[in-house]
Amino acid sequence: MSDMLKVDKISTYYGKVQALHEVSLEIGSGEMISIIGSNGAGKSTLMKSIMGIVQPKSGTITYDGKDITKMKASKVVYNGISYVPEGRAIFPEMTVRDNLEMGAFSRKYSGDEMEQHIEDMYQIFPRLKERQKQLAGSLSGGEQQMLAVCRGLMSDPRLIMFDEPSLGLAPVIVEEMFKVILEIHQARNIPVILVEQNAFMALKISDRCYVLENGVITLSGKSEELLESDEIRKSYLGG
Amino acid sequence: MFNPTIIIQMIVTGIAYGFIYSLIGIEFTIVWNASDVVNFAHDKMATIGAYIFGGTFMIGLGFNIPMSILCTVLAMIIWGVFISKVIFIPLRNIPEIFTVMATLLMGKVSMEGCRLIWGNTPFKVRGFLTGTFRFGPIIISRACVVIIIASVLIVVALQLFMYKTKTGKAMRCVSQNKTAAQIMGIDVERVITVAVVISMIICAFIGILSIPLLTIQTTMCDMFGLKGFAAAVIGGFGYLPGCILGGLLVGILENIVALFLPSVYKDVASFVLLILFLLVRPKGITGRSR
Repeated sequence: MSDMLKVDKISTYYGKVQALHEVSLEIGSGEMISIIGSNGAGKSTLMKSIMGIVQPKSGTITYDGKDITKMKASKVVYNGISYVPEGRAIFPEMTVRDNLEMGAFSRKYSGDEMEQHIEDMYQIFPRLKERQKQLAGSLSGGEQQMLAVCRGLMSDPRLIMFDEPSLGLAPVIVEEMFKVILEIHQARNIPVILVEQNAFMALKISDRCYVLENGVITLSGKSEELLESDEIRKSYLGG
Repeated sequence: MFNPTIIIQMIVTGIAYGFIYSLIGIEFTIVWNASDVVNFAHDKMATIGAYIFGGTFMIGLGFNIPMSILCTVLAMIIWGVFISKVIFIPLRNIPEIFTVMATLLMGKVSMEGCRLIWGNTPFKVRGFLTGTFRFGPIIISRACVVIIIASVLIVVALQLFMYKTKTGKAMRCVSQNKTAAQIMGIDVERVITVAVVISMIICAFIGILSIPLLTIQTTMCDMFGLKGFAAAVIGGFGYLPGCILGGLLVGILENIVALFLPSVYKDVASFVLLILFLLVRPKGITGRSR
Protein backbone atom coordinates (compact mmCIF):
# COMPACT_ATOMS: atom_id res chain seq x y z
CA MET A 1 0.00 0.00 0.00
CA SER A 2 1.41 3.34 -0.93
CA ASP A 3 1.52 5.98 1.73
CA MET A 4 -0.23 9.17 0.90
CA LEU A 5 1.47 11.18 3.61
CA LYS A 6 4.67 10.13 5.25
CA VAL A 7 6.21 11.95 8.17
CA ASP A 8 9.77 10.80 8.69
CA LYS A 9 11.59 11.52 11.96
CA ILE A 10 10.67 15.16 12.31
CA SER A 11 11.88 17.26 15.24
CA THR A 12 10.21 20.59 15.87
CA TYR A 13 11.28 23.31 18.28
CA TYR A 14 9.65 26.38 19.79
CA GLY A 15 12.70 28.50 20.38
CA LYS A 16 14.95 26.22 22.40
CA VAL A 17 12.19 23.94 23.62
CA GLN A 18 11.92 20.77 21.63
CA ALA A 19 8.27 19.87 21.08
CA LEU A 20 8.66 16.86 18.79
CA HIS A 21 11.42 14.24 18.94
CA GLU A 22 11.92 12.36 15.66
CA VAL A 23 8.24 11.68 15.15
CA SER A 24 7.29 9.41 12.27
CA LEU A 25 3.91 8.39 10.96
CA GLU A 26 2.24 7.52 7.72
CA ILE A 27 -1.26 7.36 6.36
CA GLY A 28 -2.41 5.47 3.28
CA SER A 29 -5.25 6.44 1.00
CA GLY A 30 -8.54 5.21 2.37
CA GLU A 31 -7.29 5.16 5.96
CA MET A 32 -8.41 6.96 9.08
CA ILE A 33 -5.72 7.29 11.71
CA SER A 34 -5.89 8.91 15.09
CA ILE A 35 -3.27 10.54 17.27
CA ILE A 36 -3.99 10.53 20.97
CA GLY A 37 -2.11 11.94 23.89
CA SER A 38 -2.54 14.25 26.82
CA ASN A 39 -2.41 18.02 26.83
CA GLY A 40 0.95 19.36 25.68
CA ALA A 41 2.08 16.06 24.20
CA GLY A 42 2.78 17.76 20.88
CA LYS A 43 -0.29 16.67 18.91
CA SER A 44 -1.09 20.12 17.56
CA THR A 45 2.59 20.82 16.91
CA LEU A 46 2.66 17.72 14.75
CA MET A 47 -0.32 18.99 12.76
CA LYS A 48 1.20 22.46 12.47
CA SER A 49 4.47 20.94 11.26
CA ILE A 50 2.65 19.05 8.50
CA MET A 51 0.78 22.23 7.51
CA GLY A 52 3.93 24.34 7.47
CA ILE A 53 2.67 26.69 10.19
CA VAL A 54 5.79 25.75 12.16
CA GLN A 55 8.86 24.40 10.41
CA PRO A 56 10.49 21.20 11.66
CA LYS A 57 14.21 21.51 12.23
CA SER A 58 15.00 18.07 10.90
CA GLY A 59 13.23 15.18 9.23
CA THR A 60 11.06 15.14 6.12
CA ILE A 61 7.38 15.21 5.28
CA THR A 62 6.39 13.69 1.95
CA TYR A 63 2.94 13.94 0.47
CA ASP A 64 2.09 12.08 -2.71
CA GLY A 65 5.79 11.54 -3.32
CA LYS A 66 6.47 15.28 -3.02
CA ASP A 67 8.65 16.79 -0.28
CA ILE A 68 6.51 19.37 1.53
CA THR A 69 8.71 19.80 4.62
CA LYS A 70 9.60 23.42 3.91
CA MET A 71 6.43 24.38 2.09
CA LYS A 72 4.70 27.56 3.27
CA ALA A 73 1.39 27.10 5.08
CA SER A 74 -0.48 29.04 2.42
CA LYS A 75 0.74 26.62 -0.27
CA VAL A 76 -0.02 23.32 1.45
CA VAL A 77 -3.78 23.55 0.93
CA TYR A 78 -3.27 23.91 -2.84
CA ASN A 79 -1.89 20.38 -2.77
CA GLY A 80 -5.10 19.05 -1.29
CA ILE A 81 -4.40 18.93 2.44
CA SER A 82 -7.01 20.58 4.62
CA TYR A 83 -6.62 21.31 8.32
CA VAL A 84 -9.43 21.98 10.79
CA PRO A 85 -7.49 23.66 13.57
CA GLU A 86 -7.81 23.28 17.30
CA GLY A 87 -10.13 25.84 18.84
CA ARG A 88 -11.99 26.16 15.51
CA ALA A 89 -10.32 29.43 14.38
CA ILE A 90 -13.29 30.56 12.34
CA PHE A 91 -13.44 34.18 11.16
CA PRO A 92 -15.68 35.75 13.81
CA GLU A 93 -16.46 39.02 12.00
CA MET A 94 -17.59 37.29 8.82
CA THR A 95 -20.89 35.61 8.09
CA VAL A 96 -21.24 31.85 8.12
CA ARG A 97 -21.54 31.86 4.35
CA ASP A 98 -18.43 34.02 3.87
CA ASN A 99 -16.51 31.66 6.15
CA LEU A 100 -17.48 28.78 3.89
CA GLU A 101 -16.49 30.72 0.79
CA MET A 102 -13.10 31.44 2.31
CA GLY A 103 -12.67 27.71 2.81
CA ALA A 104 -12.61 27.47 -0.97
CA PHE A 105 -10.07 30.29 -1.34
CA SER A 106 -7.54 27.91 -2.89
CA ARG A 107 -10.00 26.75 -5.57
CA LYS A 108 -11.38 28.63 -8.53
CA TYR A 109 -14.99 27.52 -8.45
CA SER A 110 -17.58 28.95 -10.79
CA GLY A 111 -20.64 30.51 -9.19
CA ASP A 112 -22.62 27.29 -9.59
CA GLU A 113 -19.86 25.09 -8.20
CA MET A 114 -19.59 27.36 -5.18
CA GLU A 115 -23.37 27.15 -4.61
CA GLN A 116 -23.24 23.38 -4.93
CA HIS A 117 -20.41 23.06 -2.42
CA ILE A 118 -22.14 25.35 0.08
CA GLU A 119 -25.41 23.43 -0.36
CA ASP A 120 -23.51 20.18 0.33
CA MET A 121 -22.21 21.66 3.57
CA TYR A 122 -25.70 22.76 4.62
CA GLN A 123 -26.82 19.21 4.04
CA ILE A 124 -24.20 17.90 6.46
CA PHE A 125 -25.18 20.46 9.10
CA PRO A 126 -28.61 22.00 8.34
CA ARG A 127 -28.15 24.26 11.33
CA LEU A 128 -25.54 26.24 9.39
CA LYS A 129 -28.10 27.06 6.73
CA GLU A 130 -30.40 28.64 9.29
CA ARG A 131 -27.49 30.75 10.46
CA GLN A 132 -25.90 31.51 7.09
CA LYS A 133 -26.28 35.30 7.34
CA GLN A 134 -25.15 35.54 10.97
CA LEU A 135 -21.66 36.54 12.00
CA ALA A 136 -19.70 33.39 12.81
CA GLY A 137 -18.60 34.89 16.13
CA SER A 138 -22.21 34.84 17.33
CA LEU A 139 -22.57 31.06 16.92
CA SER A 140 -22.44 28.61 19.81
CA GLY A 141 -19.31 26.52 20.30
CA GLY A 142 -20.84 23.48 18.65
CA GLU A 143 -22.03 25.47 15.64
CA GLN A 144 -18.60 27.04 15.29
CA GLN A 145 -17.04 23.58 15.22
CA MET A 146 -19.55 22.52 12.54
CA LEU A 147 -18.58 25.59 10.54
CA ALA A 148 -14.87 24.85 10.96
CA VAL A 149 -15.36 21.28 9.71
CA CYS A 150 -17.34 22.46 6.69
CA ARG A 151 -14.88 25.23 5.93
CA GLY A 152 -12.19 22.56 5.86
CA LEU A 153 -14.20 20.52 3.37
CA MET A 154 -14.94 23.38 0.99
CA SER A 155 -11.64 22.97 -0.87
CA ASP A 156 -12.42 19.33 -1.82
CA PRO A 157 -9.39 18.09 0.11
CA ARG A 158 -7.68 14.79 -0.63
CA LEU A 159 -6.54 14.51 2.97
CA ILE A 160 -8.17 16.17 5.96
CA MET A 161 -6.83 16.62 9.48
CA PHE A 162 -9.07 17.34 12.46
CA ASP A 163 -7.41 18.83 15.52
CA GLU A 164 -9.45 18.12 18.67
CA PRO A 165 -12.89 18.47 17.10
CA SER A 166 -14.57 17.53 20.37
CA LEU A 167 -12.83 20.15 22.51
CA GLY A 168 -15.24 21.97 24.80
CA LEU A 169 -18.41 20.57 23.22
CA ALA A 170 -21.49 19.11 24.90
CA PRO A 171 -21.55 15.27 24.85
CA VAL A 172 -24.47 15.12 22.39
CA ILE A 173 -22.62 17.30 19.91
CA VAL A 174 -19.38 15.36 20.40
CA GLU A 175 -21.25 12.24 19.31
CA GLU A 176 -22.66 14.03 16.25
CA MET A 177 -19.23 15.39 15.36
CA PHE A 178 -17.62 11.95 15.34
CA LYS A 179 -20.50 10.57 13.33
CA VAL A 180 -19.98 13.26 10.70
CA ILE A 181 -16.22 12.72 10.60
CA LEU A 182 -16.76 9.03 9.99
CA GLU A 183 -19.31 9.84 7.29
CA ILE A 184 -16.92 12.25 5.60
CA HIS A 185 -14.28 9.56 5.62
CA GLN A 186 -16.52 6.84 4.26
CA ALA A 187 -18.87 8.63 1.90
CA ARG A 188 -16.27 10.93 0.38
CA ASN A 189 -13.45 8.45 0.69
CA ILE A 190 -11.08 11.04 2.16
CA PRO A 191 -8.20 9.85 4.36
CA VAL A 192 -8.49 11.41 7.82
CA ILE A 193 -5.99 12.23 10.54
CA LEU A 194 -7.87 12.73 13.80
CA VAL A 195 -6.13 14.30 16.77
CA GLU A 196 -7.99 13.75 20.00
CA GLN A 197 -7.83 13.83 23.76
CA ASN A 198 -10.99 11.78 23.81
CA ALA A 199 -9.03 8.56 23.34
CA PHE A 200 -11.98 6.21 23.54
CA MET A 201 -13.89 7.84 20.69
CA ALA A 202 -10.77 8.26 18.60
CA LEU A 203 -9.85 4.59 18.95
CA LYS A 204 -13.38 3.51 18.19
CA ILE A 205 -13.67 5.21 14.84
CA SER A 206 -10.08 5.08 13.51
CA ASP A 207 -8.26 2.20 11.77
CA ARG A 208 -4.88 2.82 13.34
CA CYS A 209 -3.67 4.97 16.18
CA TYR A 210 -0.49 6.65 17.35
CA VAL A 211 0.10 7.56 20.98
CA LEU A 212 2.12 10.71 21.51
CA GLU A 213 3.73 11.47 24.87
CA ASN A 214 6.01 14.44 25.50
CA GLY A 215 6.79 14.76 21.83
CA VAL A 216 7.61 11.08 21.29
CA ILE A 217 5.48 8.37 19.69
CA THR A 218 5.39 5.74 22.39
CA LEU A 219 2.91 3.33 20.91
CA SER A 220 1.17 2.69 17.63
CA GLY A 221 -0.92 0.01 16.05
CA LYS A 222 -4.39 -1.09 15.06
CA SER A 223 -6.97 0.87 17.00
CA GLU A 224 -9.01 -2.17 17.99
CA GLU A 225 -5.93 -3.82 19.45
CA LEU A 226 -4.90 -0.68 21.31
CA LEU A 227 -8.40 -0.45 22.71
CA GLU A 228 -7.79 -3.81 24.41
CA SER A 229 -4.25 -3.12 25.61
CA ASP A 230 -3.67 -2.62 29.32
CA GLU A 231 -1.32 0.30 28.84
CA ILE A 232 -3.88 2.34 26.94
CA ARG A 233 -6.67 1.36 29.28
CA LYS A 234 -4.70 2.54 32.28
CA SER A 235 -3.45 5.88 30.94
CA TYR A 236 -6.18 6.98 28.56
CA LEU A 237 -9.40 5.14 29.18
CA GLY A 238 -9.58 5.42 32.95
CA GLY A 239 -8.93 1.80 33.94
CA MET B 1 -26.10 84.56 20.62
CA PHE B 2 -24.62 82.53 17.74
CA ASN B 3 -25.58 83.09 14.19
CA PRO B 4 -27.05 79.80 12.87
CA THR B 5 -25.35 80.20 9.49
CA ILE B 6 -21.99 80.37 11.25
CA ILE B 7 -22.79 77.25 13.19
CA ILE B 8 -23.74 75.40 10.02
CA GLN B 9 -20.57 76.58 8.30
CA MET B 10 -18.49 75.42 11.23
CA ILE B 11 -20.17 72.02 11.22
CA VAL B 12 -19.60 71.55 7.49
CA THR B 13 -15.96 72.53 7.90
CA GLY B 14 -15.80 70.11 10.83
CA ILE B 15 -17.19 67.32 8.66
CA ALA B 16 -14.59 68.02 5.98
CA TYR B 17 -11.70 67.97 8.46
CA GLY B 18 -13.32 65.00 10.15
CA PHE B 19 -13.24 63.03 6.92
CA ILE B 20 -9.54 63.74 6.55
CA TYR B 21 -8.99 62.38 10.07
CA SER B 22 -11.16 59.39 9.16
CA LEU B 23 -9.09 58.66 6.07
CA ILE B 24 -5.91 58.87 8.12
CA GLY B 25 -7.37 56.51 10.70
CA ILE B 26 -8.41 54.10 7.94
CA GLU B 27 -5.08 54.31 6.15
CA PHE B 28 -3.00 53.15 9.10
CA THR B 29 -5.63 50.77 10.47
CA ILE B 30 -5.50 48.82 7.20
CA VAL B 31 -1.76 48.33 7.57
CA TRP B 32 -2.06 47.46 11.24
CA ASN B 33 -4.81 44.91 10.54
CA ALA B 34 -2.74 43.17 7.88
CA SER B 35 0.73 43.25 9.37
CA ASP B 36 0.40 44.03 13.11
CA VAL B 37 2.78 46.93 12.50
CA VAL B 38 1.67 50.42 13.50
CA ASN B 39 3.03 52.69 10.83
CA PHE B 40 4.34 55.64 12.81
CA ALA B 41 5.32 57.38 9.60
CA HIS B 42 1.82 57.38 8.17
CA ASP B 43 1.41 61.17 8.31
CA LYS B 44 4.70 61.51 6.42
CA MET B 45 3.32 59.26 3.71
CA ALA B 46 0.45 61.70 3.17
CA THR B 47 3.02 64.49 3.03
CA ILE B 48 4.90 62.62 0.30
CA GLY B 49 1.62 62.41 -1.61
CA ALA B 50 1.20 66.18 -1.33
CA TYR B 51 4.78 66.83 -2.47
CA ILE B 52 4.52 64.51 -5.46
CA PHE B 53 1.18 65.98 -6.53
CA GLY B 54 1.92 69.62 -5.87
CA GLY B 55 5.67 69.80 -6.30
CA THR B 56 6.28 67.48 -9.21
CA PHE B 57 3.14 67.09 -11.29
CA MET B 58 1.18 70.33 -10.78
CA ILE B 59 3.98 72.90 -10.47
CA GLY B 60 7.04 71.07 -11.81
CA LEU B 61 5.56 69.43 -14.90
CA GLY B 62 2.46 71.60 -15.20
CA PHE B 63 0.06 68.68 -15.69
CA ASN B 64 -3.66 69.28 -15.33
CA ILE B 65 -5.45 68.13 -12.19
CA PRO B 66 -6.82 64.72 -13.28
CA MET B 67 -3.49 63.76 -14.86
CA SER B 68 -1.61 64.86 -11.75
CA ILE B 69 -3.92 62.83 -9.51
CA LEU B 70 -3.45 59.75 -11.68
CA CYS B 71 0.35 60.08 -11.74
CA THR B 72 0.51 60.72 -7.99
CA VAL B 73 -1.55 57.60 -7.27
CA LEU B 74 0.67 55.53 -9.56
CA ALA B 75 3.81 56.86 -7.90
CA MET B 76 2.38 56.08 -4.46
CA ILE B 77 1.49 52.52 -5.56
CA ILE B 78 5.12 51.92 -6.52
CA TRP B 79 6.25 53.49 -3.25
CA GLY B 80 3.81 51.22 -1.37
CA VAL B 81 5.13 48.05 -2.99
CA PHE B 82 8.66 49.16 -2.16
CA ILE B 83 8.10 49.92 1.54
CA SER B 84 6.03 46.78 2.07
CA LYS B 85 8.87 44.63 0.72
CA VAL B 86 11.61 46.54 2.55
CA ILE B 87 9.94 47.52 5.84
CA PHE B 88 6.63 45.86 6.60
CA ILE B 89 7.13 42.25 5.47
CA PRO B 90 10.66 41.69 6.84
CA LEU B 91 10.01 43.49 10.12
CA ARG B 92 6.62 42.17 11.13
CA ASN B 93 7.96 39.26 13.17
CA ILE B 94 10.55 41.13 15.21
CA PRO B 95 9.84 42.75 18.60
CA GLU B 96 7.47 45.70 18.38
CA ILE B 97 9.91 48.31 19.61
CA PHE B 98 12.12 47.72 16.56
CA THR B 99 9.26 48.00 14.10
CA VAL B 100 8.26 51.27 15.80
CA MET B 101 11.79 52.55 15.32
CA ALA B 102 11.90 51.28 11.74
CA THR B 103 8.71 53.09 10.71
CA LEU B 104 9.74 56.27 12.54
CA LEU B 105 13.06 56.24 10.73
CA MET B 106 11.36 55.51 7.42
CA GLY B 107 9.37 58.72 8.01
CA LYS B 108 12.51 60.65 8.87
CA VAL B 109 14.42 59.39 5.85
CA SER B 110 11.56 60.08 3.47
CA MET B 111 11.13 63.62 4.82
CA GLU B 112 14.84 64.32 4.30
CA GLY B 113 14.37 62.93 0.81
CA CYS B 114 11.53 65.40 0.21
CA ARG B 115 13.73 68.23 1.44
CA LEU B 116 16.43 67.19 -1.04
CA ILE B 117 14.07 66.83 -3.98
CA TRP B 118 11.68 69.72 -3.47
CA GLY B 119 13.78 72.07 -1.35
CA ASN B 120 13.43 73.54 2.08
CA THR B 121 10.93 76.30 1.33
CA PRO B 122 7.27 75.64 2.06
CA PHE B 123 5.01 76.29 -0.91
CA LYS B 124 1.38 76.29 -2.03
CA VAL B 125 -0.33 75.25 -5.24
CA ARG B 126 -1.96 78.38 -6.55
CA GLY B 127 -5.60 78.19 -7.49
CA PHE B 128 -6.02 74.54 -6.48
CA LEU B 129 -9.45 74.06 -4.84
CA THR B 130 -9.79 77.68 -3.84
CA GLY B 131 -12.96 79.75 -3.85
CA THR B 132 -16.31 79.21 -2.18
CA PHE B 133 -19.79 77.89 -2.77
CA ARG B 134 -22.87 79.84 -1.71
CA PHE B 135 -26.00 78.08 -0.51
CA GLY B 136 -28.31 80.99 0.32
CA PRO B 137 -26.68 82.77 3.24
CA ILE B 138 -24.28 79.92 3.92
CA ILE B 139 -20.82 80.17 2.45
CA ILE B 140 -18.72 77.02 2.26
CA SER B 141 -15.24 76.73 0.83
CA ARG B 142 -14.84 74.68 -2.30
CA ALA B 143 -12.11 72.64 -0.67
CA CYS B 144 -14.47 71.44 2.06
CA VAL B 145 -17.10 70.32 -0.44
CA VAL B 146 -14.54 68.47 -2.55
CA ILE B 147 -13.02 66.83 0.53
CA ILE B 148 -16.41 65.57 1.69
CA ILE B 149 -17.38 64.19 -1.73
CA ALA B 150 -13.99 62.61 -2.41
CA SER B 151 -13.85 61.04 1.06
CA VAL B 152 -17.29 59.53 0.73
CA LEU B 153 -16.30 58.04 -2.62
CA ILE B 154 -13.08 56.60 -1.18
CA VAL B 155 -14.88 55.12 1.81
CA VAL B 156 -17.59 53.54 -0.37
CA ALA B 157 -15.02 52.14 -2.81
CA LEU B 158 -12.99 50.70 0.06
CA GLN B 159 -16.06 49.16 1.65
CA LEU B 160 -17.05 47.50 -1.65
CA PHE B 161 -13.51 46.21 -2.06
CA MET B 162 -13.34 44.76 1.45
CA TYR B 163 -16.76 43.06 1.34
CA LYS B 164 -17.25 42.08 -2.31
CA THR B 165 -13.89 41.08 -3.74
CA LYS B 166 -11.91 37.94 -3.01
CA THR B 167 -8.77 39.93 -2.19
CA GLY B 168 -10.73 42.21 0.13
CA LYS B 169 -12.23 39.25 1.94
CA ALA B 170 -8.77 37.71 2.22
CA MET B 171 -7.59 40.94 3.87
CA ARG B 172 -10.40 40.68 6.40
CA CYS B 173 -9.49 37.05 7.09
CA VAL B 174 -5.87 38.01 7.72
CA SER B 175 -6.91 40.72 10.17
CA GLN B 176 -9.13 38.29 12.08
CA ASN B 177 -6.93 35.22 12.24
CA LYS B 178 -3.59 34.98 10.46
CA THR B 179 -3.01 31.27 10.99
CA ALA B 180 -6.49 30.35 9.82
CA ALA B 181 -6.07 32.65 6.82
CA GLN B 182 -2.88 30.85 5.87
CA ILE B 183 -4.38 27.40 6.01
CA MET B 184 -7.14 28.60 3.70
CA GLY B 185 -4.36 29.29 1.22
CA ILE B 186 -4.11 33.05 1.72
CA ASP B 187 -0.60 34.36 1.24
CA VAL B 188 -0.21 36.75 4.18
CA GLU B 189 2.78 38.55 2.65
CA ARG B 190 0.81 39.30 -0.48
CA VAL B 191 -2.05 40.63 1.62
CA ILE B 192 0.38 42.89 3.50
CA THR B 193 1.62 44.33 0.20
CA VAL B 194 -1.94 44.93 -1.00
CA ALA B 195 -2.78 46.59 2.33
CA VAL B 196 0.25 48.88 2.25
CA VAL B 197 -0.49 49.82 -1.35
CA ILE B 198 -4.12 50.66 -0.54
CA SER B 199 -2.90 52.66 2.43
CA MET B 200 -0.52 54.59 0.19
CA ILE B 201 -3.30 55.31 -2.33
CA ILE B 202 -5.39 56.74 0.50
CA CYS B 203 -2.34 58.71 1.67
CA ALA B 204 -2.00 60.15 -1.83
CA PHE B 205 -5.57 61.44 -1.62
CA ILE B 206 -5.09 62.75 1.92
CA GLY B 207 -2.02 64.63 0.72
CA ILE B 208 -3.83 66.05 -2.30
CA LEU B 209 -6.92 67.03 -0.32
CA SER B 210 -4.92 68.74 2.41
CA ILE B 211 -3.06 71.01 -0.03
CA PRO B 212 -5.78 73.70 0.02
CA LEU B 213 -5.90 73.56 3.83
CA LEU B 214 -2.18 73.62 4.54
CA THR B 215 1.16 74.73 3.15
CA ILE B 216 3.29 72.00 1.61
CA GLN B 217 6.22 71.33 3.94
CA THR B 218 7.65 68.31 5.71
CA THR B 219 5.66 68.87 8.90
CA MET B 220 2.37 69.68 7.16
CA CYS B 221 0.44 66.54 8.12
CA ASP B 222 1.84 66.02 11.64
CA MET B 223 -1.27 67.33 13.36
CA PHE B 224 -3.56 65.41 10.99
CA GLY B 225 -1.59 62.27 11.81
CA LEU B 226 -2.20 62.64 15.54
CA LYS B 227 -5.87 63.42 15.05
CA GLY B 228 -6.25 60.46 12.73
CA PHE B 229 -4.86 58.32 15.53
CA ALA B 230 -7.37 59.90 17.90
CA ALA B 231 -10.13 59.12 15.38
CA ALA B 232 -9.13 55.45 15.25
CA VAL B 233 -8.98 55.10 19.03
CA ILE B 234 -12.25 56.93 19.61
CA GLY B 235 -14.05 54.83 17.01
CA GLY B 236 -12.61 51.49 18.19
CA PHE B 237 -9.05 50.61 17.19
CA GLY B 238 -8.87 48.27 14.21
CA TYR B 239 -12.51 48.71 13.14
CA LEU B 240 -12.72 50.66 9.88
CA PRO B 241 -16.26 52.13 10.22
CA GLY B 242 -15.19 53.22 13.72
CA CYS B 243 -12.47 55.38 12.15
CA ILE B 244 -15.09 57.27 10.15
CA LEU B 245 -17.24 57.84 13.20
CA GLY B 246 -14.26 58.87 15.34
CA GLY B 247 -12.89 61.18 12.66
CA LEU B 248 -16.18 62.99 12.17
CA LEU B 249 -16.63 63.35 15.92
CA VAL B 250 -13.17 64.88 16.36
CA GLY B 251 -13.60 67.18 13.34
CA ILE B 252 -16.99 68.51 14.36
CA LEU B 253 -16.04 68.83 18.03
CA GLU B 254 -12.95 70.91 17.41
CA ASN B 255 -14.86 73.29 15.16
CA ILE B 256 -17.64 73.68 17.67
CA VAL B 257 -15.09 74.34 20.42
CA ALA B 258 -13.73 77.11 18.24
CA LEU B 259 -17.11 78.86 18.58
CA PHE B 260 -16.68 79.15 22.34
CA LEU B 261 -12.95 79.33 22.85
CA PRO B 262 -10.06 80.94 20.99
CA SER B 263 -9.24 78.72 18.03
CA VAL B 264 -5.83 77.78 19.43
CA TYR B 265 -7.76 75.46 21.76
CA LYS B 266 -9.12 73.44 18.82
CA ASP B 267 -6.31 70.91 18.97
CA VAL B 268 -6.46 70.75 22.74
CA ALA B 269 -10.11 69.72 22.53
CA SER B 270 -9.46 66.73 20.31
CA PHE B 271 -6.54 65.51 22.40
CA VAL B 272 -8.48 65.89 25.64
CA LEU B 273 -11.16 63.76 24.01
CA LEU B 274 -8.54 61.17 23.02
CA ILE B 275 -7.13 61.03 26.55
CA LEU B 276 -10.62 60.72 28.01
CA PHE B 277 -11.35 57.78 25.74
CA LEU B 278 -8.04 56.10 26.55
CA LEU B 279 -8.80 56.42 30.26
CA VAL B 280 -12.52 55.72 30.34
CA ARG B 281 -13.37 53.68 27.27
CA PRO B 282 -10.29 52.38 25.48
CA LYS B 283 -12.49 50.14 23.33
CA GLY B 284 -13.87 53.24 21.62
CA ILE B 285 -17.47 54.21 20.89
CA THR B 286 -18.28 51.14 18.85
CA GLY B 287 -16.52 48.82 21.28
CA ARG B 288 -15.38 46.73 18.35
CA SER B 289 -11.95 45.84 17.14
CA ARG B 290 -10.72 44.11 13.98
